[in-house]
Amino acid sequence: MARCLEKGAGHIILFRGGRYVSDSKGRKRIRDRRRGPFVFLCLLPAFLFLAIFLYYPIEETFRIAMTKSTGMGPETYVGFDNYVKLFSNEEFLTGLLHVFQWAFWSVIIQLPLAFLIAFALTYYRNKLTGPLRSIYYLSNVLPSAITAMIGRFIYAPKSGVISSLANTLGWKWLGAIDWLGDPNLAFWSVFALATWAYTGFPIIYLMARIEQIPNEIREAAELDGATGWHYASRIVIPDLKYPFQILAVLCTVGSLKLFDLPYILTTGGPGNATVTLGITLYRHGFINWNYGLAAAIGVVISLLSLGFTIAQFSLGREKGGESL
Amino acid sequence: MKKRSLFVLSILALGLFSASSLFADKVKLTVWAGDIPDDSPDHAYAKALVAGFQAKYPDIQLDYVGLGNDGFKDKLKVTMASGSGLPDVFQTWGGSVMGGYADAGMLLDLTKELKDVPGSAAAASAVTWKGKIYGVAPFFAVAGLFVNEGIFQANGLKVPATVEGFEKVCDTLKAKGIQPFACGAKDKWPALALYMYMTNRYGGDSSAKASARKLAYDSVAFVKAAQLYQKWVKAGYFGATPLGEGYGDAQQLMFTGKAAMMVTGSWMCANFASADMTDQKIGFYAFPALAKGGVGKATDLMGMTDIGYAASKTGADKKDAVVKFLKYAMSPEACAADPGRICSVPGVKAKNSITAQASAVFGGAKTVTFWWDQDLPPSVTSPLNDTIQTFFLPDTDVKKELSKFEALCVENMGGIKK
Amino acid sequence: MSQTENKAAVKRGRTAIRVRHGTSEIVTTCLLVLLAAVVIVPLVLPFLFVFKTQLEFSYHPWALPKQVNWNNFIEAWKAVRIDQGLFNTLIVSVGAIVATIPPSALAGYITARYRSKFTELAFYVIMVGYFVPAQMVLIPLYKMEVAIKFNDTLYGLFLPMAAFGIPFWTLIYRSFFKGLPNELAEAARIDGAGHSMTFFRIMLPLANPATVLALLLVFIGAWSDYLLSLVLLSSQEKFTMQLRVASFLSAYGAERMPKYASAAIISAAPTVILYIIGHRWIIKGTIAGAVKE
Repeated sequence: MARCLEKGAGHIILFRGGRYVSDSKGRKRIRDRRRGPFVFLCLLPAFLFLAIFLYYPIEETFRIAMTKSTGMGPETYVGFDNYVKLFSNEEFLTGLLHVFQWAFWSVIIQLPLAFLIAFALTYYRNKLTGPLRSIYYLSNVLPSAITAMIGRFIYAPKSGVISSLANTLGWKWLGAIDWLGDPNLAFWSVFALATWAYTGFPIIYLMARIEQIPNEIREAAELDGATGWHYASRIVIPDLKYPFQILAVLCTVGSLKLFDLPYILTTGGPGNATVTLGITLYRHGFINWNYGLAAAIGVVISLLSLGFTIAQFSLGREKGGESL
Repeated sequence: MKKRSLFVLSILALGLFSASSLFADKVKLTVWAGDIPDDSPDHAYAKALVAGFQAKYPDIQLDYVGLGNDGFKDKLKVTMASGSGLPDVFQTWGGSVMGGYADAGMLLDLTKELKDVPGSAAAASAVTWKGKIYGVAPFFAVAGLFVNEGIFQANGLKVPATVEGFEKVCDTLKAKGIQPFACGAKDKWPALALYMYMTNRYGGDSSAKASARKLAYDSVAFVKAAQLYQKWVKAGYFGATPLGEGYGDAQQLMFTGKAAMMVTGSWMCANFASADMTDQKIGFYAFPALAKGGVGKATDLMGMTDIGYAASKTGADKKDAVVKFLKYAMSPEACAADPGRICSVPGVKAKNSITAQASAVFGGAKTVTFWWDQDLPPSVTSPLNDTIQTFFLPDTDVKKELSKFEALCVENMGGIKK
Repeated sequence: MSQTENKAAVKRGRTAIRVRHGTSEIVTTCLLVLLAAVVIVPLVLPFLFVFKTQLEFSYHPWALPKQVNWNNFIEAWKAVRIDQGLFNTLIVSVGAIVATIPPSALAGYITARYRSKFTELAFYVIMVGYFVPAQMVLIPLYKMEVAIKFNDTLYGLFLPMAAFGIPFWTLIYRSFFKGLPNELAEAARIDGAGHSMTFFRIMLPLANPATVLALLLVFIGAWSDYLLSLVLLSSQEKFTMQLRVASFLSAYGAERMPKYASAAIISAAPTVILYIIGHRWIIKGTIAGAVKE
């Protein structure tokens, strides 16, 4: 086997029947004819699983979205009627607005918060931060029914934690707040609970990625007299560009699909104050027996998610993101 | 060689296996329900049913699966939608949900076998759809007024005999710092019972007419009832934060004497009578009629199946076992285990004084109206509860909300027929 | 101050620099402890009343229990039927891991390092699985499983779970593989390693943090799954622990809080314990990965 003389030196190298080609950036890359089958084989398992278990249901969903059916009986083809109905339905539009709000605020609040915590935990290594690292994900480990139950304990009027605390402290105004019953407040109460529950994953994910930055770089920065902020903004954050994009995608798609917490806590109420697309989907599919309409909502959620993901990753590329 | 003998062996095994199933004398009966047959007093009936049935019919293998109410309902829907893997018997509350399954051909028609089972007429009609009987309803619930008699006595109050009489009682209670009504409006459905009663008292059988499409949902009786409801909420009769209060919170208020009255179903009798749950003295009363200007009487009750079972088409080849199970569910020996529900089967005594009161009220009923959110087509039931919840907001235009609901009904159930 | 210290440390030839940051470190650590308390306190709340009787709970939900009453736990424990459920849950969890992680790692690797129009398209096609809300897919999935006779089996449960998990973990693996420098792959090739060797010997070990994370989170996710288990399992002997606990939870109305909460604790405890044990592993894994550089 021909060996290279120096790592990275642009010499001609023999490599199993391949040859040097220049790629679009003018760098020399080795093209290898055995790449194709390798790529195919590696992608095959994932595709197999998805093809068998998800693609049929997804295709069915798209198909049923064009019909009017109860899920049990005959189906009548109605074309795009369901979609038209959806966009004139107040509950759906409110749900759409809510999930967009949810996605927006999740990204704005959760990502910086997660970064700050993750960074602080990896930057300051003392006796406390060690065990602290395990704690932040704990809230995420719970099944959503239990998270919702905890939310009920905290927010319940008169018997909830906040009310009881307000009573003991004598703060009547605090006890009078109707966390889940006030149409203007309910959304934020549920959102606060969700932030508590879901920020854990971004934190440990970012921690793991920050740890991938070699120690030498950090030590070099220290020697150069970089403060924590400097180090964070000049070195760490640019390196985390792609992880941030991923988290933004996960937050957004998660918000679009959101169902459990608002449904268990308030069933979308009061009125439509906390309704989401997921709740509307469940309502139409499982309660109203309007299965075609529910499928249409599912399609809308999927397309919105897809659109957002593509937009997110293309944006990154346009800015010349090397990490893409 | 090895392959061939393996092949032969497996054929033999297959043959033996199928032969043995032909000669099997154990019929397997699958029942899906919400209640788990464990030691809790709530589930005493389910436990007695399973144990008693297995003791009485040892040749039938009973597989009773309790999944909790929400899980059970979701799983049943998914299974019904696919048409396969259905249980032989499942828990049902009758009405339009069961009717939907019947219309889709998923249920087993047992009119012949079950028509002579002794039970109340209301219970039987709950599990009947379009003239055919599909199951049994051993327990029937009616909504009534639960009153904390201790609080009333201490404050010199009497249970209101008229709807108008509530106002004075509630004002007194409010002045004493006691929440007059506990409701649970956060969960939407608990607010329905009171609204059904108010509409009936104003308009008599207006709801029956409306669902038969002879009357609109924004007609006089419905609007007047909604306005009264809203008036009571504004007056603080449901507490300062009615929409933040879930059904569980409402019960807790009653258990601890922080609220004095609750309009809800008789399934709560067991809890209100249990010393584990409450130390208050609570009684069950019929909801009164209007003093003047009303049509409905105190003997017009709202109620529906408390526990019921229906059979799916999978049980067609085990009809005998299915019928045995359903009849056993309706037997006095099984029903006697339940701590507090009103039993539709004659000869079962009430377990506690509150249930006795409730049974008496039920016994004196002239008409029984099924819960609207179980009786109307599924496509309008959650909008109905949403509409009623809006009455709890002070600036709702109730007529407008009801008109919106009417429009939805027109779309789903057809327009008004003259 | 810290600069001279560092330079002094380097002079002394120490490789691990213990950097002292003074006030900023103290303030930040305090904030972190506060935030951690915010995370933990709600989790501890249920413990305040699982030991109470129902009546005591109704009157004084948040006071300390008068006496420690184990009844609720005992009842919940009995209803959960650990003996049956544990084995099933273990099979499902391990099966989910084996079925989710290898395909995700492979797919993540390819879409990260073998960039081409085809692999980009493949990536989005895989991600579509993540975009679809679960409730939508339940009914067709069930119908399909019945058709291929996978329903009411444990493998019919963890294989779809894997299908749901693969898009997510492909995304995560992709990000980890992207973070690895290009020179490594070049060096490997120059040394004569083929594609699979590069992957198995060099790239995959470096993405250890992702793998450890995946092992833990997929296991926990499969352990606490409810929706899929509910819909796809019908025979009681196949029920998983979580399904039983969730059924117990929803069989009791919200008025029986102490019982409800005790079941919740039983259901959450395994995952919490697993997580705490596993997380030390993650930390070890990530540190190891970084030092290898």
